Amino acid sequence: MKQAGILILLWIGLFIFLSSGSLEAEPIEVKKIGEADLKSILASYKGQVLLVNIWATWCKPCREEFPDLVRLQDFYKGKAVHIIAISADYPDEVNAKILPFLEKFKINFPVYVQDFPRQEDFINYLNREWNGALPATFIYNKENRQQTFFIGKKDFESFQKEIEKTRRP
Amino acid sequence: MLDRTKIYLSLTIVTVILAVAAAGVVSLEAAGAVEKNKIPAFTLKDFNGKSHSFSDYKDAKAVAIFYVATRCPVSNAYNKRMADLYKEFKAKGIPFIGINSNKMEDADEVKIHAQKHGLTFPILKDINNVVADKFKATVTPEVYVVNTDRDILYHGRIDDSRKQDKVTSRDLYNAFKEILAGKPVTVKETKAFGCTIKRIKK
Repeated sequence: MKQAGILILLWIGLFIFLSSGSLEAEPIEVKKIGEADLKSILASYKGQVLLVNIWATWCKPCREEFPDLVRLQDFYKGKAVHIIAISADYPDEVNAKILPFLEKFKINFPVYVQDFPRQEDFINYLNREWNGALPATFIYNKENRQQTFFIGKKDFESFQKEIEKTRRP
Repeated sequence: MLDRTKIYLSLTIVTVILAVAAAGVVSLEAAGAVEKNKIPAFTLKDFNGKSHSFSDYKDAKAVAIFYVATRCPVSNAYNKRMADLYKEFKAKGIPFIGINSNKMEDADEVKIHAQKHGLTFPILKDINNVVADKFKATVTPEVYVVNTDRDILYHGRIDDSRKQDKVTSRDLYNAFKEILAGKPVTVKETKAFGCTIKRIKK
């Protein structure tokens, strides 16, 4: 009886040990999105404040502000404010460039890669005043209307300030 | 009120409104606001300290102005293409001017970078992004092709991919060919991902 008990404990221990690998962070998925996808993703956040950040692995200020976006999403968890990031790298660079960068962070928001046939269509879809400079950030209010757009690197406080402006009724 | 009086009053009001509006437009131009579809006139020093003005290029068929950077991977991806285009089109009457408005990239850095990458057209240092602000330029690389009256004939990207082997549309090249052929430019305005111009905090 005692031997059986020990064996059972050993098996349980082995099982826990072997399955502990899957208790690590889930692999990040970076979906390619075209216009129809982008439209439905944006619309799905109606009723919430949404911050959309456009970045690329080649863009140094984008890489530098990324940790602040992660902090920001942590801060706003459960407060009806969401972040999504869309990469302007090439869709075939997800494995080679995007994932290795993202794996440095505990990503807590969806990350996509833009896959419009023409980059100018992606740029104009988000805002016709935008000439494609990165990083670019777009904030949508609860009515799902784009209220704020800016280019250039921002820090946690500045992002928060812009979000709070949008949250105000 | 008599009908005639009403008419005179309405005419007076309309005239006053038009006069005020006209004065507003005149004062805006006097203040140096950018005229629609024209670049502003400018004078800047190159990385050797030599002054260049747009008016120096009176004899050009067109002038191509490139906002460039030393540290932007996209601008750098175009170094060779800019050098090649310059070689081809300078001889055909389209001189190039580079403008570096980035706050952290000083004249010495711009000079070393230009020499390293074979950029032989003048590259001007736009301290405090004064000229970039007048142009409303935002990204590197960003090109303005203008005639000697400063009218913008083409504005935007060099081509549609930072990776040369993925290019499908040589927009700047096409614009140059059309200008030299005396034709209107078909695609006048384009966009592409690039780096923000690194502006001073005001």
